[in-house]
Parts: sequence; structure tokens; C-alpha cells
Amino acid sequence: MKKSLLKLGTLFGGLMGAMVVQANVEVHHIVLAVSQADTAKSWYTRHLPCEEVAERPERLLCGGMQIELEARQSIGGSQGTSVNHIGFSYPDVAAKMQSLADVGVGGAGVRLQRFPGGELVEGDEEHGLHGFIFDPWGTRIELVQAEGEPAFHHIHLASVDPSATQSWYVEHLGAEPQGTGVELGGTPFMIEANSEGRPAATKERAIDHIALVADDLDAVSSDLADSGVQLRGPTVPANARGGAERTLLASPDGVRIAIVSEAWDGIGDTQTQAAEMAQTDVPFDPPRTPWGEPDLQGMWSGNVSHGIPLERPDDVATGELTEEQAAARREQGTLASIWGYEREWRDTTLGYDKFQASRQVSIIIDPPNGKLPETTTVGAEAAAAAAMRRLVVAAGPEDLSSWVRCITRGMPTMMMSGVYNNGLQIQQSPGYVAVQKEMIHETRLIPTTEKPRNGIKQWLGSSRGYWEGDTLVVQIKDFNGRAAYRGAGDNMTMTERYRLVDENTLEYQFTIDDPTIWKAPWTGMFHFKRHEDQYELVEYACHEGNYGMTNILSAARTKDRELNEPSGD
Amino acid sequence: MGVWLALALLAGCAATAPTTNTSNDDALPRAWDGNPDLNGIWQTLSTANWNLESHTSYGGLAEIGVLGATPPGIGVVEGGEIPYTASARKKQQENFKNRYTQDTEAKCYLPGIPRAHYMPYPFQILQGDRKVMMVYGFAEANRTVHMDKANPEPAPIDSWMGRSHGRWDGDTLVVQAHGFNGEAWLDRAGNHHSWALEVEERFTLIDKNVMRYEATLTDEEVYTRPWTISMLLYRHLEPNAEVLEFKCVEHSEELLYGHLRRGAPGT
Repeated sequence: MKKSLLKLGTLFGGLMGAMVVQANVEVHHIVLAVSQADTAKSWYTRHLPCEEVAERPERLLCGGMQIELEARQSIGGSQGTSVNHIGFSYPDVAAKMQSLADVGVGGAGVRLQRFPGGELVEGDEEHGLHGFIFDPWGTRIELVQAEGEPAFHHIHLASVDPSATQSWYVEHLGAEPQGTGVELGGTPFMIEANSEGRPAATKERAIDHIALVADDLDAVSSDLADSGVQLRGPTVPANARGGAERTLLASPDGVRIAIVSEAWDGIGDTQTQAAEMAQTDVPFDPPRTPWGEPDLQGMWSGNVSHGIPLERPDDVATGELTEEQAAARREQGTLASIWGYEREWRDTTLGYDKFQASRQVSIIIDPPNGKLPETTTVGAEAAAAAAMRRLVVAAGPEDLSSWVRCITRGMPTMMMSGVYNNGLQIQQSPGYVAVQKEMIHETRLIPTTEKPRNGIKQWLGSSRGYWEGDTLVVQIKDFNGRAAYRGAGDNMTMTERYRLVDENTLEYQFTIDDPTIWKAPWTGMFHFKRHEDQYELVEYACHEGNYGMTNILSAARTKDRELNEPSGD
Repeated sequence: MGVWLALALLAGCAATAPTTNTSNDDALPRAWDGNPDLNGIWQTLSTANWNLESHTSYGGLAEIGVLGATPPGIGVVEGGEIPYTASARKKQQENFKNRYTQDTEAKCYLPGIPRAHYMPYPFQILQGDRKVMMVYGFAEANRTVHMDKANPEPAPIDSWMGRSHGRWDGDTLVVQAHGFNGEAWLDRAGNHHSWALEVEERFTLIDKNVMRYEATLTDEEVYTRPWTISMLLYRHLEPNAEVLEFKCVEHSEELLYGHLRRGAPGT
């Protein structure tokens, strides 16, 4: 199936002749990230046309395609990335989907991705009957109808510019154009526009990379480098079995591509692998608004950061649990609670996997031990008083928290993730940034030009910002102290730092300085993930629908009556 | 004294606004893309929030004297009256009687569209490259006007503030809003609409500091025909102007939950 230069030359004539590389490559294997290779092997052999490969614990042969499984503790779904999914064919897709539906989602079950009307399959028998599922680690899999034995069918690339992506595979890898996609050494690559704009890179996602094989790796690598492809290699990756070589490529939309030599026989230590792969990731150049300010605008979700403990857990601090183990525990917690809740309330089983669970062990990054600094006497008293207040039978609304009253969660809690309503919308106009949080529906208006403070105390204080390079720095003062955070309120100064780490990741850092409560300032950090079209701030009319308040107070009055009634004894 | 005089004078301005067309292109501030620059903090000086229709002054709660009174105002409704169906007019009159307890403003509920723009509180417009956000001081209300969606999408669910799509018609920002839950009142006089409301708003700068705000309301459940309000919005020029928090929830709690307070009659 290898291409000849002559054939490509015929297809493209003189137009691209000088650019064409005789890559002589074909797909060797696809690398999927899973939490445990053995569980994944049972899942794939049970549900898809996959067989184990003798003496290769990480390898599967799936209907003609080799799949290598890498154990990772960090997994983000493939949907929303540039390798959106892989496809398998079945002679009767409807029956196959139904049998997968019967498996259920419990444990290492099968997550179905239904169509908007709830159907398992879409299309008709003649034209592309198909359905979608996810493996338990986030790989999106399409099942398509085709005659014959079940087999591997295609790789689906989601692109910001499909025709440019197609040209890249043709020019640099010698693929043959097929419709809007390509065929590379017999493997079809569908290439379609990503419905949500720029897709996320495959880095640290469930479909980690595609490995091609070349008969002459040195020559191919050299040709690719000459044609302007950013690459690294050939090198012998650490722990490559048999010392086989590999070249890593930077490709459109952040699809990780490796080209291995024919001697390739897999790799052992996947952690080393991950670090090596990262070296070809293209440096991020943050976008700017048309008027020249760093552009943080968009619809962000804090779901990724739900459940990170504020402080480093004691079992990690003492070394009882390694950071890797703690990260895995965290990730499980996030996935379980968010997926459970969102599936129930938002009906987003269709395409909910654009983020990966955070692996952060604690929100606090400074002090470096991940623990709050020592509290002052006043701080300790404030904490005790707050605990007491929670035990009071409420005489009226003012005895309840400002969150229960739908007034505010206060700072920094306003920014923090919970089990729902984690949307964060950022809007900019010249000289202003608005930060709007879905929970409660609160907006902070932040001038980024010189604007003196007015001294008026507010629940969320008053925010004043400036740009420090590409980072938005916001200083907040003048809190009214009524939505205090662990006692910190009227004397608190808070400094926020917003920064894009990559196209789809917003890093949020905050420093709290309240010497009346803590003997030193401390800093927390967590991430938001871009969630442009799948998420929007659906109005959370908290106060308008606060039946909870009525119920809490009427229950409190019942409690009053019980306490006041003479004892029957 | 000065306040009332100013209000009376400005009510007069509002009434003449629909026929004023003094737009001078050269004087208009322009955004990066050449469209009029609506960024800033705005507020009406009309009495629309008390009563959209023309009204003489009338008294309110006796306990607070003139603080509860409604100042007179020349209406902002084109043609003078809201074209209610008979039953909808009756409902407005009922609402009027119960306004101190039933007006959604009294309860600190989200003000809806168009009311958010003519409450006696400032709001800020953030005109970006993809969206226009309007942030209101009252009740933490806000709306996002999607300028980047070619085909208006249906609202995901009915809401107080609805869903808004915008476009530029020459130098006018035109916003289509729909998807309302029908709960918000239009003013303190009990004027109202239903869930079927659709609003087309037009924001037009007439000079750098004054903007005409027009809204056409279509709602077959309660009106016999579409009708339009028109008024002016003025830019806050104070250098320290800002939209302050007006987290009014706590001021509504006695009204909403007072009957459940310890010691209240019946508890």
C-alpha cells in the first residue's frame, strides 16, 4: 500500500511537485490512554472486535488495527480534540448498539452517546447507519454499518481547517485524498471541521497519538524536516523494546503523530513516554482582542477543578500516599460526581467530554506544603464562631449563609467549583473585563485602566485590574465582611491572576492576605477549561426560586414548637 | 426640589425622543470595528419604571409619605396606551392594586427585558468583538447579547432575562430577545407580559453621551398588536462612576419570608 512519488506527482502535477515528500508510511498503531491496561484489555475484547496479542500486555489487535494501551492516571475524553474518535464497522450496527446498551454504564460499562431524540443509531441502512459510545476512559468510538466481519474502520480528525489538514497529510505523509479526508497506507482518515472551533490537542487525552511506520525512518525524518515539519528524532525512546527508533511530529491541530521504525515493538515505561511526547507540543501564543489586549473571553467551565481539596490531604503530606495515587483518587472523585450530576441535570451525554479531571492534589500552592498558614487568635475564634452559627435554629433568613439566601458565595468562594453551576463567562471591552459566574449569577466588573477606588464596602469588594504581560492581575479590597471566608473579610486583600496556559485552559490563581486571620498570605490555584459551544450560562435565578428558604424557615418554626412544648414524660 | 424639576424636564425630553433625529455621524464614538461605541455606564431619566403610560402623580404607602409617591410622567409608549386585550388590562389593574407586594422589583426578582434598561439604576455595556454584555446593578441582573451566532438559536429554557441575539443595522444595535418566563413586571404600575413575549430593541447613539432606546413588544397572549416604547439613556460622566452592587435580596426577605420569622403571628 505504500505510495510512489510518481503516483502523487500524477495527482498533483507541478503544483505541489516540489513539496511532495515520499514518506512511505502507514499506520502502525493507535495509542489509547487508560487507567489500567488489563481492565482496558478485557473491555475491548468483550465489546469490540479486539484480540489480545501474546506476550504483549499493552497491545490489542482490533479488526486489523493494532492498539497500544498506555496506563495513565490522567485521562481526558477524545471528543473535542483533534482526534475526535475512531470507528469500527459492524454488519448490523443497530443490533450491536442495542447489545452495548444492555451492558449498562455501571463499573467499566459502556457509555452510550445517544442522538438528540434519544436514539442509539442515526442514518439509514443504505447511507451510513451509525452510533457512538465511549470507553470508560474517554475514547469516543463510532460504530458504522458495513458488510463483512466487524473490523477497524477509520480515524476521525476534527480540524479547524479541513482542507489545510488534508493538504498537510497529502504533502508531508504521502496520503491520498479521499473526499474531504485521506487514505494513509490503507487506513481511512475522515477529516471534518470541528463543530466547536479549534479542537483541543490530543495531549494527555484518551486518544493520545497515532503511530505510523516507515521502512526508512532516517530518510523520512530528513525529508519531513526539509519540508518544514517541526519534529524530534529519530531517537531511541527510553525503554523502547529492542532499541527501536522513533520520530515525533508536530502536526495540524495538535494531533500527536509518531513515526516508528519497522523494528518497533512497543515501549515499557509510559511515564517516560509522556514526558518525551510533550517535547513536540507547539508553544502557545495567547490570542489578543482586536483592540490589542490579551483575550481571555469565552465560556469557561470549572468542572475540571471540582473537588480539589483546599489543603493537601494528610496522607499525601505524610508520604502514605504518593502524589500520583492522590491524583488518581482526585480524578475518580471528580469524574464520578460531575458526570453523575451533569448527566442527570444537563442532559449532556451528547458531547460532554471536553475536559479532563484535574489531577491537582490541593488548591493551595503556597505555602509549598499545601497547607493554610497558621491562624491568629482572632482567626481561630472566627472559625469557632462560624461553626457555632451553623448549629443555630434560624430565627430568620439572616441566620443562614449568604449562599443559602442566594445573595453571594463571597470571595474567593464565588470563583470556586462545586458540583454544578461551574460556568464562568469572561467578556471584555477596551479597558474592562467582566467576570460572570453561573452560580447565583454574579458579575464582577473589573476596570483595567487607572480608576481610583470609591471606598464603598461591598459583598464582593471592589476589583481593580491591570495587565502584566498576558496575565490579568486583579486586586480586590473593600469587602463588607458579611460573606467572610474562614473569618477573612473586611481586612482581606485578595489578588487574582488570570492567565491562558493554552487555547483551552485558563489558570486562575488567587492570593489571600488577611493578617488579622492568618499570619502569612497564601495562594491557591485551579483551572477552568474552555467550553464554548457545549456550555452556556443558563440563568440561575437562585433567589427567584428559593423554595429552600421557605422550607428551612418553616422547619425551623416546627423545631421551635417542639422545643417549647412541655415534655410528655 | 431640584430632583423633581429635573425629572419633569427630562420626562419632556423622553416624549420628544422618537421624533428627534439629530444623529451626527462625525460626533459618534466608534469602536475598533467602526460600529458606534456603546461602551459605558447608562441610565434613563424617564419615569418609565414607575409607569410606562402617561400618568399624573399618585400617592403610595402612607407610612413613608412622599417617599412612596409616584412622580408624574409623560409616557414612553408610542401612541400613548399599551394595546392590552380586555382581560390583560384588567390584570394590570389588579396588579396595580397589589403592587407593593407583587411587583417583581419589590421582591428583588430579575427585572427582565426591557425593564432592566429603565430602572432608576445605572447599567454598564461591555461591547466586545463577539458578544455584548449588559450588566445591571439591580439584582445582579445581566444579559449576554450574542453577536456571533448567525441564526438565532432557540432559548434553552424560559428565563427572566430571556435569550438575546444582536446585529448592527447601520449605526443601530438591534437585539432580538425571546425565551422569557413571563413573570417579570414591566413597571411598578403592574404592566405585564406573558411567556410569549418577543422584544426587538434598538440602541442608537444620538450623540456621544445620549442613546435612544426603543423596544417593540410582541405578545399575542396579552396585546392586540405590537407596541413600542422609546426613551433616552444618558451616559454617566462622573469620572468615578461605576455600577455598584445592589444585592437587593436581603431587602426583600422580610416581604417574602417575614411570616416565617420566629415570633411572627401564627409561628
